[in-house]
Amino acid sequence: MQQLLAKISALDPEASLTLRVIACFDELIVGNVNTRALLSAAASLGGCNAGFRQDHPLRSIRVNPRGELLPTDGVEPDGLVQRADGLTVWLERDGPKHANDDMILERLALAVRIRCGQGRQDLDNRRDLGVILDGAVPIAERQLSASRLGLRPTAAYRVVAAPLFALWGSRPGGPEDVVPTAFGSLHAMVVAHDCTTVEATPAGLGIACGIEHLPHSFRTAVVALRLCSPPATPVINADEYGGLIGLLADAPADGHMPDVELLDDVMDHAWACPTLDALIRAGSLRQAARLGGVHHSTMQSRVDVITAMMGFDPIDGLGRTRLGIAYLVWRLRHSRVLELPAPNAAASA
Amino acid sequence: MGHSGELPTKQRSSRPFTRQMADTVRRPAVIRPDSRLPPVDSVGNRGVHSTVVSIGGAVARDEAGQGMAPARPGFDPELKAGLAVVGGFFPPTVTPDLIDYMREAYASPPIEDTLRGRAITLEDLTIAGYRGDPITVSVLRPARASGLRPGVVFTHSSGMMFGDRFSGIELVLEWIERLGAVMVTTEYRMAPECPDPYPREDCYAALEWTAATAEQLGIRRDRILIAGASAGGGITAGLALAARDRSGPALCGQVLDYPMLDDRGIALSTRQFDGVGVWDRISNETGWAALLGEARGGPTVSEYAAPARASDLGNLPPAFIDVGVCEIFRDEAVAYASGIWAAGGDAELHVWAGGFHAFDIFAPHTALSRGMIRTRDAWVEKIIED
Repeated sequence: MQQLLAKISALDPEASLTLRVIACFDELIVGNVNTRALLSAAASLGGCNAGFRQDHPLRSIRVNPRGELLPTDGVEPDGLVQRADGLTVWLERDGPKHANDDMILERLALAVRIRCGQGRQDLDNRRDLGVILDGAVPIAERQLSASRLGLRPTAAYRVVAAPLFALWGSRPGGPEDVVPTAFGSLHAMVVAHDCTTVEATPAGLGIACGIEHLPHSFRTAVVALRLCSPPATPVINADEYGGLIGLLADAPADGHMPDVELLDDVMDHAWACPTLDALIRAGSLRQAARLGGVHHSTMQSRVDVITAMMGFDPIDGLGRTRLGIAYLVWRLRHSRVLELPAPNAAASA
Repeated sequence: MGHSGELPTKQRSSRPFTRQMADTVRRPAVIRPDSRLPPVDSVGNRGVHSTVVSIGGAVARDEAGQGMAPARPGFDPELKAGLAVVGGFFPPTVTPDLIDYMREAYASPPIEDTLRGRAITLEDLTIAGYRGDPITVSVLRPARASGLRPGVVFTHSSGMMFGDRFSGIELVLEWIERLGAVMVTTEYRMAPECPDPYPREDCYAALEWTAATAEQLGIRRDRILIAGASAGGGITAGLALAARDRSGPALCGQVLDYPMLDDRGIALSTRQFDGVGVWDRISNETGWAALLGEARGGPTVSEYAAPARASDLGNLPPAFIDVGVCEIFRDEAVAYASGIWAAGGDAELHVWAGGFHAFDIFAPHTALSRGMIRTRDAWVEKIIED
């Protein structure tokens, strides 16, 4: 695939090969392929040999870019190596490092960790993290999975949700896995309750709770994630919205919500997003005008338009709540954050 | 182009598709990698868990008309990962306005790079193609060969419209290096500029030339194998029919890799993979329309152009046919093998679960591709090795 990547580069110099590497390993993780397949992909993407060593029990694999096995005796990786949790992966690059090597190695390490990590030991082929996040599983079983993952029964945690293509800075420690949801496979991680943000774009943090309610925390994390709007809003913590996100998390997907449908027409206006953002944050028309960066008479005329279209005054009493909820639901229904950015738009990746 | 007697212009030495041209060629819309499909969907994607965590809010988006897609088997996970890399640059759906783009995207890498480190020599020759027009063939030989060797006449994949005589060649170099074969690969003229019968008759001319000059080429005349992939596989099947009917060169076998056999597009698999994988129904219609024009699907199409139409599949050389489960050619390939068996012939058929079209070319490192390549090589070894 290295040749393919080179060709893609030649055809479109703006293309982000990094994202393609990420998307490739996403599929391999979701597909639960074996270690050799992971190494073969890395070797094929890099156009060089790739290797893997597990300390306990001792096991080594090396493959060439065609996915063929190579002898492992006496091979000591140096240079492009990642080690964690008794697992080592490496690329055997002669000469200078290539542009994608770091990303290939990072994704290979993540994929190998998930494939060979502790969570894989279960008998029914379901991984513990998926179990503790699934409210349909009896609580006793979830508690068992939680203890296998090293989570303490009396402690509070929250769940972080991110798409597989999210870009991470440093990662907080904690059990992590890929979990299927109605919105596709997501990267889920359980962190301590006092972890209130993560260095990732995009990502959502769920509400803090005990083990019993982690499925709810995950649902709120996914809602928070879907409310993100990078680069302006890369991360959202469900705490910011209090109980509101909990309501949204449990609302039926196809519920009939007349206010949201009315809002559709309002959102056709170019000014709609910043104006509604300002209105639901502000305590008064003047403050909304300040937050929205417009003169208060401009804000007033927009409020008049909204009032006419929605049939209620958005800054008066219950109208504020109605607008706030309708706007959040509208944003969820129109969320694009889980779509892989187009290659051309992601040169910064 | 398209007139008889006109010189071919797509010679490798003077590739017309320059970088500058690539900038003006229309690019396909970026295809979203499958990674964002729901975990359990109509493509048959499997999540890693047995249950889906249900989450309130909006329904999962309908991706590329998935909601209306017919039931279809899912792609192998390693191959899906390969598609995520290829995504958008080799679009599943090739329309006529993408032909120029595909010629750029599917051009083979420099042959010197492909042959580097291999004990293979390369010689380019000009021979008489269809109607005597000059065409180029390359002869690839094992560097240390002596005496007469088995011969392979190779026809590259093209969709009838793009690629060159070295497209996909890396998958058959083992036959030269390890099995000692001498390979002739043909720069056949392609549609739409050179429609039927140009592509096949250029290849037939190369086959006849190979047999006629076998001794000079170092080839045993009684051990000539023909092989081709995709459109090249369809052409190869047509060569076997034509050689039989014209009392042409004796053939010891035909390798038909996921062959393009039927212009009518009547098999169920044709309609099963719209917009996914590699080479969907629309692409196929584009290819056949380029080759056959208005005649496509009608009563006048030659059996040599569309071998699925052949009424007699008897007395053909042993056939090796392989195809993916997840590609439009699946049912055509199975039917062709069945037709050969019905006629009392020898055919070996391999249908690879989870495989999209030409997956061994796009992702040779995967377990599925290694299996396909190994199985094919074993059959070829059985047929041609001394």
